Amino acid sequence: MVAATTARRGRPGRLTASTVLIGLTVLTLLVLAPFLVVALNAVKAPAEYAANGPLSLPGELYLRGIVDFWFRVDFGEKLWNSFLISATVAVGAVVISVLNAYAIGIGRMRGRLAFLMFFLLANLLPQEALVYPLYYLSKQVGLYNSRIAVIIIFTAIQAAFGTYLLSSVFRDFPRQLLEAAAMDGAGKWRVLWKVVVPTSWPTLSVLFTFFFIWTWNEFFLPLIFLISNDKQTVPVALGVLQGDRMMDATTTSASALLGIVPAVLFFLIFQRTLTRGVLAGAVK
Amino acid sequence: MAKPLTRPHPRTRAGASARKADYGYVAFLLPGIVLFLAVIVVPLLMNIGISFTRWSGVGTPEWIGFDNYDRLLHDTNFWISFRNIGFIILAMAVLPTLLGLFLAAVLFDYVAKRIGPRTASVFRSGLYLPQVLPVAVTGIVWGWILHPSYGALNSILDRVGLGALAQNWLGDPAYALLSVMAVMVWFQLGYPVVMFMAGLQRVDPELYEAADLDGAGWFQRFTRIAVHQIRPEIYVVLVTTTIAALKIFGQIFVLTRGGPGNATLVPSYFAYQNFFEKADAGYGSAIATVLTAIIVVLTYLFLRIQTRDERLEGS
Amino acid sequence: MFRQPRTGTRTLIAAVLTATALTLSACGADADDSGDGSTLRLWHYEGANSAMGIAWAEAIKQFEASHPGVTVVYEEKGFEQIRQNAGMILNSDQGPDILEYNKGNATAGLLSKQGLLTDLSDVVAERGWDEMISPSVATTCRYDANGVMGGDTWYGIPNYGEFVMVYYNKDMFAEYDLSVPTAFAEFEGVLDTFVDNGVTPISVGGAEYPAQQILYELALTQADRSFVDDFQLYANPVDFHGPEFSYAATTFAEWVDKGYIGADSAGIKAEDMGVAFTQGNFPIMISGSWWYGRMSDEITDFEWGTFLFPGSDLHPGSGGNIWVVPSNAKNKDLAYDFIDITMQPDIQNLLGESGGVPLAADPAAITNPKAKELIENFNTLNDSDGLAFYPDWPAPGYYDVLVAGVQQLINGSKSPDEVLDEIAKPYNDNLASIGE
Repeated sequence: MVAATTARRGRPGRLTASTVLIGLTVLTLLVLAPFLVVALNAVKAPAEYAANGPLSLPGELYLRGIVDFWFRVDFGEKLWNSFLISATVAVGAVVISVLNAYAIGIGRMRGRLAFLMFFLLANLLPQEALVYPLYYLSKQVGLYNSRIAVIIIFTAIQAAFGTYLLSSVFRDFPRQLLEAAAMDGAGKWRVLWKVVVPTSWPTLSVLFTFFFIWTWNEFFLPLIFLISNDKQTVPVALGVLQGDRMMDATTTSASALLGIVPAVLFFLIFQRTLTRGVLAGAVK
Repeated sequence: MAKPLTRPHPRTRAGASARKADYGYVAFLLPGIVLFLAVIVVPLLMNIGISFTRWSGVGTPEWIGFDNYDRLLHDTNFWISFRNIGFIILAMAVLPTLLGLFLAAVLFDYVAKRIGPRTASVFRSGLYLPQVLPVAVTGIVWGWILHPSYGALNSILDRVGLGALAQNWLGDPAYALLSVMAVMVWFQLGYPVVMFMAGLQRVDPELYEAADLDGAGWFQRFTRIAVHQIRPEIYVVLVTTTIAALKIFGQIFVLTRGGPGNATLVPSYFAYQNFFEKADAGYGSAIATVLTAIIVVLTYLFLRIQTRDERLEGS
Repeated sequence: MFRQPRTGTRTLIAAVLTATALTLSACGADADDSGDGSTLRLWHYEGANSAMGIAWAEAIKQFEASHPGVTVVYEEKGFEQIRQNAGMILNSDQGPDILEYNKGNATAGLLSKQGLLTDLSDVVAERGWDEMISPSVATTCRYDANGVMGGDTWYGIPNYGEFVMVYYNKDMFAEYDLSVPTAFAEFEGVLDTFVDNGVTPISVGGAEYPAQQILYELALTQADRSFVDDFQLYANPVDFHGPEFSYAATTFAEWVDKGYIGADSAGIKAEDMGVAFTQGNFPIMISGSWWYGRMSDEITDFEWGTFLFPGSDLHPGSGGNIWVVPSNAKNKDLAYDFIDITMQPDIQNLLGESGGVPLAADPAAITNPKAKELIENFNTLNDSDGLAFYPDWPAPGYYDVLVAGVQQLINGSKSPDEVLDEIAKPYNDNLASIGE
């Protein structure tokens, strides 16, 4: 590759590469340390925790905590609810963001700053400000204690970020592609779906991943709006263990592990599509 | 605005299609507008309305005019919460963006090219994982690490002979905010890295080649080309992390509950306390309204700078 | 040259279809039962292994046995979720028929004032529950029109009680030849002995509720029933610089100085306090009966016991969490039947056997010696009207005020007088607003 050969000119070589690698590995391990602590305690028996504290190595692998918790909160159901809500929000928010950003970033309509602020408002509001009004509104339409309400709310909130990011990126969208398509007789709608979307696929993938993960980890609004146990999501279920005065540390870790694994898995899976998407849909 | 005097036929083809283009794009905004009106604007207006009342959350609110705002101005907790936010912004916006920029460049430019894109990907995922962790778990784990007696941090300091530096990280008012800031850097670092690496993929390799031919060193390539090209991402990251910092709630809730005293009190948590613990929804709404207003103004300024910058770019 | 990838459109269609399918799935029929008397929706937040959890599971069984055709739909709830959202939930049609809720002005009192709880006074008289509940405990069941406890309207029924005592490590006491103190001076003597031997005696959770309960205990050693009535029931204004609180704050600060309370305990959570005790790191822990079951299960390395805090007849404690029936409940009679079952001797005894503190059990019927000891201590307290409730009850949000105040005593960042001023203000502000 051209870049590699030109890069070789005047580079120190192996020594720098190893230093960089080591530095990065140390940093990453430090960043990941808390996960290890969680994993450690998730498979530790409560008696061992009581005797040796949270940072000791478990003597034996104790999986009862994880299994018990799974059945106690019907974790399978919670996983499904979380997945349902996060995936729907991710799709919906990406779609709305694309539509909005198309008009603002590529359409360059007048007053786009005002529109941008309007959409971004969703992300600017502290969630506490929204709670009581949304509660009353959802009660009016009979959507209190429903997953749909949560989906609608988060689609709006995530789409705000998406609109903002995409409109910034779309501003730099290569005009030639758009003009070429227009000259081929494509209307705005077709240009959007045939040109803009495929070209910006890497960014859209990133957005989708963000939205999924952010929605997955939301706990404040779901705590308010999802009352029935069969509708609750994973983070809300984790809250079950926060007792009035006691906290069951090993079970909390077990539940935390169960909460992290799906999100991490999803992120890792999406990583690959992200990279593949980049290679396949290059700008040029 | 058009100058009618110099345009004898305002309804020329160019004029007509330009106006049609404008309206055409509006159609794309409709779904978003409807959604946001229902979910955001109406509740926001309701929230502002509540801030002028005394209300416990149930029953009928009682109109009290500006009393809540008056109370706010004289409430030390309110001012302290904003002072604390300044520090949080440093920890959540400034530091992660700078560090993230550097790391993204290293990973994308150096690691991916010299060692392999898979390796770069692994590091990126690792750095991003804190964002994937549920907030409740963050609190528990960092509580363990920063524990004054058996916490990992103090144990390690002890082990390397720096035991004198061991502190009560989350319980001492002098250190609580710093500890929270450190946790927030840990939490936030991955997000800029991912964003910037995605942005760097858009950079035209030919620009780099041209720079190399001009004899540019790595740092110059970095600043002149990479940073320049991913300006949209940088702006977005700065704005979103600052907003997130202003709104921060979850981590404070699980790490310190705003304490000790009000050492780590932040506006969102302060509003929450009033909404849900003191059943004083009117006061809570006032706090939330002020916070929102500040965020809106700051964001507007940011966006103005960003759009003006883009216009100056001449793109 | 740009290509027209079909993948774009196909992906789009797939995405839209997926979203539609998912959305429809979320819309799924939510079967809401109506008040036809065939279900009892019951919520509580006690763990399945706790004494209450065990007793209530049995009560559910008995209920279903005695009510053929009725199913109990039980949901285990998270305490945080209920505590935070109770008002919202009970103000809608998504609430249960009966739920466990926290006693106190800021919780049950507030809900009763907002009209969200059913007035149980008639049912109580009818079923004779008032005879099973002592006056101290009844205080937290009855609220007045302002939502202050000790009123005349019944809103909740507890099954159990709780109180704060001193847990101690018998082995560590034996190591230094110490016996259980019965007077305050003796208690300080015991604490001194530990300090002299390089052991911090008391495990304290300064970041949460335990520390303020110690402060309160100290105040109670100087107090009588009328003080409690003033402080908790607003009978008269409270002088925060009066003998009770001054003593408490000064002595607490002294205890920190003398090393009885660790100077770094301001950041310790209740959970960590308990774990430190179970690990044998501290010989003493001053906290509540809610730890009892866990101590029994988890302490295997040493002998342990409890004693009442010396020097006082009053102790933090109260009736336990109460069963309340929401105003919007659809099956109130079934709810009353359930409460009745939980107050019967066999359920109460089961509660006791499992390590809880029942209100109406017969100590003679309890076989577990440790449980017997616990119940007897409570009965002593209960019979002598010694339950003084908890220091954070008088005002909403007062919990955080007290945590902050006591942390400053521990850290030495404020003097006792300054801390007293600091905790006086929110209390008095709240008092003023209640009157309106």
